[in-house]
Amino acid sequence: MNEQVLSRRPERKGDKSTIGLDSGRAGRIVGRTVMWLFLLVTAALTVFPLLMTLSGSLKTGAEMMTGGSLLPAKMQFSNYAEAWRQANFARYTWNSAFISIIATIGSLLVASMAAYVVDRRQFPGKAIFVTTQASLMFISVGAIVLRPQFDLMVVLNLNTTLWGVILILISAHSSTFFLLLGFFKAIPRELDEAAMVDGSGFMRTFFLIVLPLLTPGLGVAGLFEFRHAWNQYILPLVFTMTNPELQPLTVGLANLRYGSSAAMQIHLMMAGACLSILPMLLVYILANKSFIQVTSGSVKG
Amino acid sequence: MNLKWKRFGENSLFLSPSIILTAVLGVYPLIWMLRYMFYDYVGYGEPLFIGLENFRRVMRDGLFWESVGNTFIYAGGKLVITLPISLLLAVILNGKLRGGNLLRGIYFMPTIISTAVISVVFYTIFNSYNGMVNTALMKLNLVSQPVDWLGTKYAMFTLILVAVWGAVGNYMLLFLAGLQGIPQDLYESASIDGANAGRKFWNITLPMLAPVAQLVIMLAIIASLKGYESIMLITEGGPIGKTEVMYLYLYKLLFPVATGMPVEQQLGYGSAVGFVTAVIVGAITGLYFLLSRKMNKMY
Repeated sequence: MNEQVLSRRPERKGDKSTIGLDSGRAGRIVGRTVMWLFLLVTAALTVFPLLMTLSGSLKTGAEMMTGGSLLPAKMQFSNYAEAWRQANFARYTWNSAFISIIATIGSLLVASMAAYVVDRRQFPGKAIFVTTQASLMFISVGAIVLRPQFDLMVVLNLNTTLWGVILILISAHSSTFFLLLGFFKAIPRELDEAAMVDGSGFMRTFFLIVLPLLTPGLGVAGLFEFRHAWNQYILPLVFTMTNPELQPLTVGLANLRYGSSAAMQIHLMMAGACLSILPMLLVYILANKSFIQVTSGSVKG
Repeated sequence: MNLKWKRFGENSLFLSPSIILTAVLGVYPLIWMLRYMFYDYVGYGEPLFIGLENFRRVMRDGLFWESVGNTFIYAGGKLVITLPISLLLAVILNGKLRGGNLLRGIYFMPTIISTAVISVVFYTIFNSYNGMVNTALMKLNLVSQPVDWLGTKYAMFTLILVAVWGAVGNYMLLFLAGLQGIPQDLYESASIDGANAGRKFWNITLPMLAPVAQLVIMLAIIASLKGYESIMLITEGGPIGKTEVMYLYLYKLLFPVATGMPVEQQLGYGSAVGFVTAVIVGAITGLYFLLSRKMNKMY
């Protein structure tokens, strides 16, 4: 496993017999081979379901039904057009984008404003506020919270729009709050004090001076928030059960399994899966570094 | 005095969105649960106070405890497979490796994909009749008959594989972050003293990684106990309840319509089950925390 550490060390000759050296080298070659085999097999297993999705999305319904070959006989790009128009994926995509974009902006705004005051000022109840946010990250009572949340949205008349889902997503901003709190600590207080001395008001200082400096933090927190919102399933499922026009990609796709012609639509399901994975994949390819940076950061403390 | 009020106003303005949303949509639902777990309530009509009756029912509820057992199998299986693979990948990628960044990108990729979407995909590719896994295995002559991946015998195993697929990259990255915090000169001086790779792994990497690993394993335990989305989409807890986990059981009590069963929703009983479930998860997390701290002291 640690061959790379070993191989960086200049070989020390003389303290081993020739036979020892040879078996050492042979062992190292075997070790390297086993290591690469492990790496490549794991990589292959990781991409296999994604490649199967892509391949399935280009097959005909009949091909999917009978199993047959792993690759499509002829690429059926029309599947995508069919999924987009007839299977309502245009609508689902729009709903997903709407939920994710508004929820991301909303959480960033709510969490950054709160984190700014918590980092820069003293106020009564600060400890309670921070403790509540921290405990909400760890208490897991499952789907039970969805029921009172749903009832509340009915009272507010928001159960027939996507705003209910969006508000609930924004309300769960604990992790974004703590992430941004860390970034605020890195911005020197002297900076906003100097701005205030120069006559800049509180709001002005926050929005025009501090927030722009928080851009890297907002970027990574936003990525996570967007991924979280885009990939939600159970929350929008419960809220849009009776309202197909409001369903996001995840719910719309999963519901295809129940259709009367579900068996004949697997190729459309695969095309839909590709459509819903694609935007996140693009974001990932563009912002790979940030994803990895934040995920790592969560244990570095 | 004026300044004090001005500051108070500013603080309130900036905190109130967070406080209101947290209170109404985060804390209130918990209080709601804490109240209704003492009631007989089916979602309409007058809730009836029944004291601890719901909890007595939980104790007697064989299906629930079966789902608790299944949760342990599911979570345990996922952890036992995921963590060693993640650690191994992290240790390898921590060295300078040609193509290391590309591989890291590939391994981490599943974490950005929706569990729901990929579950639908797995549902089709593990299909015994025309799924691509069976097609591939039979083409390679590894099996002669289609394997019933979602049947009684293998369903749990298949679900664990799906969970492992989605989790390995995440924990690999967390371990990798811990490994990068280990000072390189420790390895260098060990090399000078003639330590081999195995000794370095056992005597430097593992003890130095322990604090981070402790946290990572705790996160992994919580996440694996909580996961039920993919089970909901792939087997719906079946066949014959073999893959029912506690959070899925809870979900079905609250939203029976969604699972296609003509059963009444049981909000009072569901609240009690939700509470017991949270206590179970909390107890396991706490127990792990105590045990791992003891282990840390032993080093």
